[in-house]
Amino acid sequence: MNPETVNRGTVNPGTVNPDAVTEKMPALRTPSGGSPVIGRPRADFPTPERPATERGPRAYVVHSLLQAKRLLTKWFRDPLTMIQTVIYPSVTLLMFSVVLGRSITGATGENAVYGQVPMIALVGSVFGALASGVSLKREAQTGLLTRFYVMPTHRASGLTGRLLAEAVRMVLTTLFIVLVGFAIGFRFDQGVLPAIAFFGLPLLLGTGFATFVTALAVMAPKLPLVELLSLVCTLLMFFNSGFVPTRAYPPWLQGFVANQPMSTAIESMRGLSAGGPVQGPLTQTAIWAVALTVVFAVPAVRGYRKAAMGRD
Amino acid sequence: MTAAVATTRSSGRHRAPELSSFQQWRALTGRVIASQLRTHELTVALLAPAIFAIGFYLPLRFVMRVQGIDYAQFVMPIIVLQAMAFTAISAASRGAAEELNGINPRFKTMPIGPAVPLLARIGGATFRSALSLIAALFYGYLIGFRFTGGVGPAVLFVTIAMLVGTAFAMGGDAIGVLSRSPEATSQALTLPQLILGMLSTGFVPEEGFPEWIRPFARNQPISQFAHAMRELAEGTVNSAALIPALLWCLAFVVIFAPLSIWANVRRQ
Repeated sequence: MNPETVNRGTVNPGTVNPDAVTEKMPALRTPSGGSPVIGRPRADFPTPERPATERGPRAYVVHSLLQAKRLLTKWFRDPLTMIQTVIYPSVTLLMFSVVLGRSITGATGENAVYGQVPMIALVGSVFGALASGVSLKREAQTGLLTRFYVMPTHRASGLTGRLLAEAVRMVLTTLFIVLVGFAIGFRFDQGVLPAIAFFGLPLLLGTGFATFVTALAVMAPKLPLVELLSLVCTLLMFFNSGFVPTRAYPPWLQGFVANQPMSTAIESMRGLSAGGPVQGPLTQTAIWAVALTVVFAVPAVRGYRKAAMGRD
Repeated sequence: MTAAVATTRSSGRHRAPELSSFQQWRALTGRVIASQLRTHELTVALLAPAIFAIGFYLPLRFVMRVQGIDYAQFVMPIIVLQAMAFTAISAASRGAAEELNGINPRFKTMPIGPAVPLLARIGGATFRSALSLIAALFYGYLIGFRFTGGVGPAVLFVTIAMLVGTAFAMGGDAIGVLSRSPEATSQALTLPQLILGMLSTGFVPEEGFPEWIRPFARNQPISQFAHAMRELAEGTVNSAALIPALLWCLAFVVIFAPLSIWANVRRQ
């Protein structure tokens, strides 16, 4: 059978015969062997000699990094995300410091900025996770997740890449807040290692919270996520030990204020910057973060798979 | 012959229902309120003041008592003003969304008075402001706020709040309609809300600020509103407190009302 016949057979679907198709396959596999033009030029695409696998640890790492890079690029190019993660927390910190700093420091005798910097760093991390949850919902709705799912990518890379990107964003937000803090009197009085550990706390709690938001975003796509969680976050923002010290709250509220995850993280960060107990609050924060991650990891993974497969 | 005439007349009446502009406004305002209900905007309007009332009152009560201030009485005006600012931001989002999704341009092609859709959105926003104000005053009563100055000043307190809310809603609507981007608009408006709200004498007295920023904090409009409303609630109001607030109210109406009308009825 000459190429002429094969060509005609492919172009005209009415006359396709099985022989012509089987004849065509070898031609596709040899990109350099002077392949005949069959129908459309797609036959000229080279077939990779060693196709990258979509399984295994190497693919997991490479694909996760790729997904993280995609999200970070998207966030960096979106002015709204930048405002939300950088400008908004910085301005809030300045406002809190200028407006309330003097009153709080005067009434409690502790420099308020050592509570405010950790608080705003955590709030920035938490609200950033919220914004990312919204973008995840949009990606599920527009079918981008499904699109990734039918490509040869590692199944776990989407979720891992997202958490990685979140981690980078949280460290950057904290860095920016600390820089603004330096301008208004915040200092690392405990040395270099505690200063580095300081950045770990938003990361620790933020990862737990991001898992929680992801689980909520993919498990219950109909829920008014932003409104609901904004409400919770705003409450946590007002009732923590960074806004004013725990003992300034009414006695019946002090138990909640002292033990909610944001306060434990703030107290650890206060200890790591101004000085004070670290181990106790740090252990509490770790328990909160691990608990959030463990409880919501399975729903997050299952929900993500469900969303990616496009089934409601 | 007669039948033909009758058909013509009835079909004519069917095609052009003669609603007055007021009836059109009522219908479109109903539409806005129905949409506020559907998107749980009204729930937010009722809940947000609660969060801010207890969110500032409980933590700062102790701090302010040290300075000899009854914080429930002190913070109430700014809680109300915050609620008005939230209404303005949601009005801006709505204006942007309706310009973007095409219903606003669609209204322009229909036999509706040119400013009726605008006035309907403002009507919806005013309705939301009123609900938010009632909710805020309710939470205020729970934490210990009282009108001790009698009915007249209390009415004036509510009037100033509603005027400010309506003027801000008109400004928000104009910005939204001109920007056509709901997310960007609400994000951008959060910043002035935060700055003007916080850098005012609504949350802390002037002495709480560093010296260099006191003139701004004392004289900016939100502080003037908060000061006048606080005095009205206490019944100790005098013209020195009231006149700047009323002038600022007037200024906002004079700026924002024509701006929103221009943004809505101009032809692109």
